[in-house]
Amino acid sequence: MLKQSLALAALAAVMITNAAAARDQIRVVGSSTVFPFATAVAEHFGKTSSFKTPVVESTGSGGGLKLFCAGLGVDYPDITNASRRIKTSEVQRCAKNGVVNIVEVKIGFDGIVLANSRKSGLMSISLKQLFLALAKDVPVDGKLVANPYMTWRDIDVSLPMSKIEVLGPPPTSGTRDAFVELALEGGAKTFPMLAAMRKADKKRFKAVAHTLREDGAFIEAGENDNLIVQKLETNPAAFGIFGFSFLDQNADKLQGSRVNGSMPEFEAIAAGQYPVSRSLYFYVKKAHVGTVPGLRDFVAEFTADKAWGPDGYLADKGLIPLPDAERAKVRAQAAALANLSM
Amino acid sequence: MTENVKYPAVIAARRQSKDRLRRRRAEQRFRSYGMVAVAVSLIFLVGLFATIFSKAYTALGQTEIALEIHFDEALIDPEGTRNPTTLARANYDALVKISLGKLFPEIKDRRGRRALRKIMSAGAAFELREMVLADQGLIGGRRTVWLPASDDADMYIKGLVAGGLQHGNRIDAQQAAWLDKLENREQLAQRFNWRLFMAADSREPELAGLRGAAVGSLLTLSICLVIAFPLGVMTAVYLEEFAPRNRWTDLIEVNINNLAAVPSIVFGLLGLAVLLGFLGLPRSAPLVGGMVLALMTLPTVIIAGRAALQAVPPSIRDAAFGIGASPMQVVAHHVLPLAMPGILTGTIIGMARALGETAPLLMIGMVAFIVDVPTSPTDPATVLPVQIFLWADAPERAFAERTAAAIVVLLAFLIVMNLAAVLLRRRFEQRW
Amino acid sequence: MSNLLIIIAILALAAIGFRMGRGRALALAGGHAKALHSLPNHYGGYVLLWCGLPALALIAIWLALEPPAIRWLVLSALPSDLKALPAERLALIYDNIHNLARGIDLGTSDAAMSEAAQRYLGLRQIAVVSLAVISLMVAGAGLWRGWRVVAPTFAARRAVERSIRVALIVSSTLAVFTTIGIVLSLLFETIRFFEKVPVWDFLFGLDWSPQTALRTDQVGSSGRFGAVPIFAGTLLISVIAMAVAVPAGLFSAIYLAEYAAKPVRDVIKPVLEILAGIPTVVYGFFAALTVAPLIRDAGGFFGLDVSSESALAAGVVMGIMIIPFISSLSDDVITAVPQSLREASYGLGATRSETIRQVVLPAALPGIISSILLALSRAIGETMIVVMAAGLAANLTANPFEAVTTVTVQIATLLVGDQEFDSAKTLAAFALGLVLFVVTLGLNLVALVTVRKYREKYD
Repeated sequence: MLKQSLALAALAAVMITNAAAARDQIRVVGSSTVFPFATAVAEHFGKTSSFKTPVVESTGSGGGLKLFCAGLGVDYPDITNASRRIKTSEVQRCAKNGVVNIVEVKIGFDGIVLANSRKSGLMSISLKQLFLALAKDVPVDGKLVANPYMTWRDIDVSLPMSKIEVLGPPPTSGTRDAFVELALEGGAKTFPMLAAMRKADKKRFKAVAHTLREDGAFIEAGENDNLIVQKLETNPAAFGIFGFSFLDQNADKLQGSRVNGSMPEFEAIAAGQYPVSRSLYFYVKKAHVGTVPGLRDFVAEFTADKAWGPDGYLADKGLIPLPDAERAKVRAQAAALANLSM
Repeated sequence: MTENVKYPAVIAARRQSKDRLRRRRAEQRFRSYGMVAVAVSLIFLVGLFATIFSKAYTALGQTEIALEIHFDEALIDPEGTRNPTTLARANYDALVKISLGKLFPEIKDRRGRRALRKIMSAGAAFELREMVLADQGLIGGRRTVWLPASDDADMYIKGLVAGGLQHGNRIDAQQAAWLDKLENREQLAQRFNWRLFMAADSREPELAGLRGAAVGSLLTLSICLVIAFPLGVMTAVYLEEFAPRNRWTDLIEVNINNLAAVPSIVFGLLGLAVLLGFLGLPRSAPLVGGMVLALMTLPTVIIAGRAALQAVPPSIRDAAFGIGASPMQVVAHHVLPLAMPGILTGTIIGMARALGETAPLLMIGMVAFIVDVPTSPTDPATVLPVQIFLWADAPERAFAERTAAAIVVLLAFLIVMNLAAVLLRRRFEQRW
Repeated sequence: MSNLLIIIAILALAAIGFRMGRGRALALAGGHAKALHSLPNHYGGYVLLWCGLPALALIAIWLALEPPAIRWLVLSALPSDLKALPAERLALIYDNIHNLARGIDLGTSDAAMSEAAQRYLGLRQIAVVSLAVISLMVAGAGLWRGWRVVAPTFAARRAVERSIRVALIVSSTLAVFTTIGIVLSLLFETIRFFEKVPVWDFLFGLDWSPQTALRTDQVGSSGRFGAVPIFAGTLLISVIAMAVAVPAGLFSAIYLAEYAAKPVRDVIKPVLEILAGIPTVVYGFFAALTVAPLIRDAGGFFGLDVSSESALAAGVVMGIMIIPFISSLSDDVITAVPQSLREASYGLGATRSETIRQVVLPAALPGIISSILLALSRAIGETMIVVMAAGLAANLTANPFEAVTTVTVQIATLLVGDQEFDSAKTLAAFALGLVLFVVTLGLNLVALVTVRKYREKYD
């Protein structure tokens, strides 16, 4: 038996070194938020063209950009998805490894909703109230103090009696980042004291506006939004923060709270009325267009109206499309493989 | 009572019987602890199985709608060249739309037609495409085809989501009425969901299947077993039977125990740095996945193997030495076969863990959407737990039941593995 | 494919070598195996090793060197304007040549590149043929060398056993190499992390709150990286899990090994092992949606304030998951305790439970301890259950009703986040991994010393 296993090990070792080969398949990495959309496009692309279906990995935006920027050639991915814009430092890292011509494609918006079970009442909340509910330090009588509010009613009589209990993404998540920036900072600006601080000491203001409370009222759940959805069902008093597509799919059980008078609905987000939404992107390595078959066609598929348009299959999956004019502009840039400008 | 005082033997006997009673009770108590412990685990297991199965069984059916499709040559192949590329790129969605339109000729407006299209799966067009590519003779003809309904329609028919007037429901009142009408006309039915087992992954729940992931798991686990089992046994044998007791072997031993506690995702980092970075192996390949999982399971196999070897009584070895066997023969012919049941237990537990592992595969690119079924250990592939992980994370409600079904399939894999182990163990096991 | 054929040919040749060596030894001894120094199979094995090993080693080395060699040859034959390109452009061009050689033409190639593709194909062909010829020659030579040495007085057993022993030693060092690999793949990023965050703050800080900014225009609000709450959380959850798993697992093992009828044991043991293989996502959902609300409501009934995300829920479910690690392995070890020990104990009048407690368990102790350590390792390394049931809040508490988080959870979340890849947040994952590695190493050292002290051999 020892001899046989030795032989097998040798066999394995030999097969390994023989593995590296050329690639005729597009490889996509990146954000888990863009993943459902990128995979839908990949599947349609594979099933309506003569190219192979691209392989799409879910690595997180940061991990995706790290892989993307690691170098040129078939060992590195061709496209990375991101739920935030690429950073200057990342562009520099890319350039250091020879990845200089990057094409940026903005694909649409993702609404971030605050939702609870339909067993409880619908909540209407302003960004200001949201800030008071979730920020770590809030202004009381002109002074910043640790957040004293325990129930929603403590903040405003129009809000429910229940304890503040909000399930949301961890600080490593792009969803959290966007929520903090759009909702909390938006709310913070409405306080004269904080607005003044913003002018005087921007850093300090952001530190106040961007820190979520850590006393248990805000609960960092993992990145699994379905779990948050199910937890909300079992706990009608709790609220959850997650992407619009999950609300869309679970509309029979959950309701999105009205924020600043606007319901989190497809049309409202697309029209820019709903205040908490962020842009989604993907980045293409231009140098790979001549090396990996179908790359240009994939970008064309993604930016076709049957995919990312208001009636496209991505809208059905929960992607909020760009306005018509912007869509046309981005499509033209993508087709021309125009370089990213920061 | 009192007269018994005169007979110390009686008292002693009574005391003894009291003692015996106490000891018997202790005995029974001890035994019942064991039964309770087993029962707790079993109840938990049954509970888990019950929750999974109750969610999974609906995934065995898939709502399909019978459409009479006219494979119009003008739409599929207007030039009549029968060129596969033309056929592959033709607009099969139009065929579905036309056929649906004929079912409900009263719907004229754009909005209504779009709503009507949404009761069918996007995959209906893909399946027509496959049919035409497989049999060009279909072009020009008519045929009634059962095609999958969309996931929303499927969920509505199964009664898993409400449909109708309430705002925000994915199936509105109009669509619900159409579906009910089709069901009454027997043009809509629940049919066996063969796609779940025969198809690979898809973003449309109604099309998604497990074949790709199952094949990927099989390839990955084979690689893992081929590496981890021999290496694990060899290491255990060396450390237990041959190694001198010195600093070096102590170092190895501590290392192995320590590796067992390393979080699995760190093995993924190792795989990324060494296997992908240094050796240049392909990303997302079962080969690399198997190697990473093998490194992760090795400590389990080694530790279990050593425990099993230790448990072989020294008398066996002494007897074998006594009749002139060499150390290698003692191990190969006597100790190893006797320790095999324990080694197999360790291997099975290790493999079971490898079968259910997701985190390390994330780093080496196996947490991915892959539509093609892998055919070799170097093709991009994913594995069952990753599929479960990805489906559990998908927004579509229809993926919930499929996630449960995928878990059942994974459990079936596990049970087969355990059965194999039982048979092997029964061959080897003995008491002395 | 062709390489696989070559390997199969060599393995077949080695098998023939085995028969030849065996046959020759028997023939030389006139058919009397007793006249030989070693068993006939040893002679066969000796020839097999000589035939197979050098040739397979040669193939391995060849295949490792072939791609870079061909690459160098193809690239050096390119026109000088192409050769002058920077390395990463050259890599792309080589990929294009590869594509052309496989028949994928994207219309971006010119004459020079198609020529290179031809050249590439030619070189590959030469390589395959020469590898086949050379390796088969080496295998043949090895076979002849081994075959010639076979003689009745030749100590084939010693030679074969020596090489097996070498193989055993080599395989046992793999663990050390894995460790080195892990340390190296963690070390560099950890050092970069400690450039941003002082070691002292990390190791002894009581506050974990990586709420630093994702983008440069934002400002880190409360980026504190004190790892103590995370390690405390790991400890708390592991303790809860072990409190469930050790009694349940150990009593299950005792029941299965000592009391249960054989058919019952044959069924229950593998059934319990299924617990170890259920994907942790399933346990995660179960812990988060069934156990946690149950505990919360039960706590509310007794007037306790239990958070929806409690360490208890995660710990209990994790404990159930690792039961088979203890029950199955301990069961094997207990079964392996010699029957004579039990019979001696019964002979002295001890009951079964007394025998188990006072004779069997002490005899099986080393094995039981390794099974418990293995289960503990699994508990420390578990991610999914904790993420889903206990959340990510790093509270420094010993209260099992509060939410805590563990090292592995943090590593996993930090690594797959959306943040910039060289931010302190991502790098913290590596530092956590390394520290966990060092901590468990220390614990294992202690365990090794203790186990060795109590280790006994019975017969």
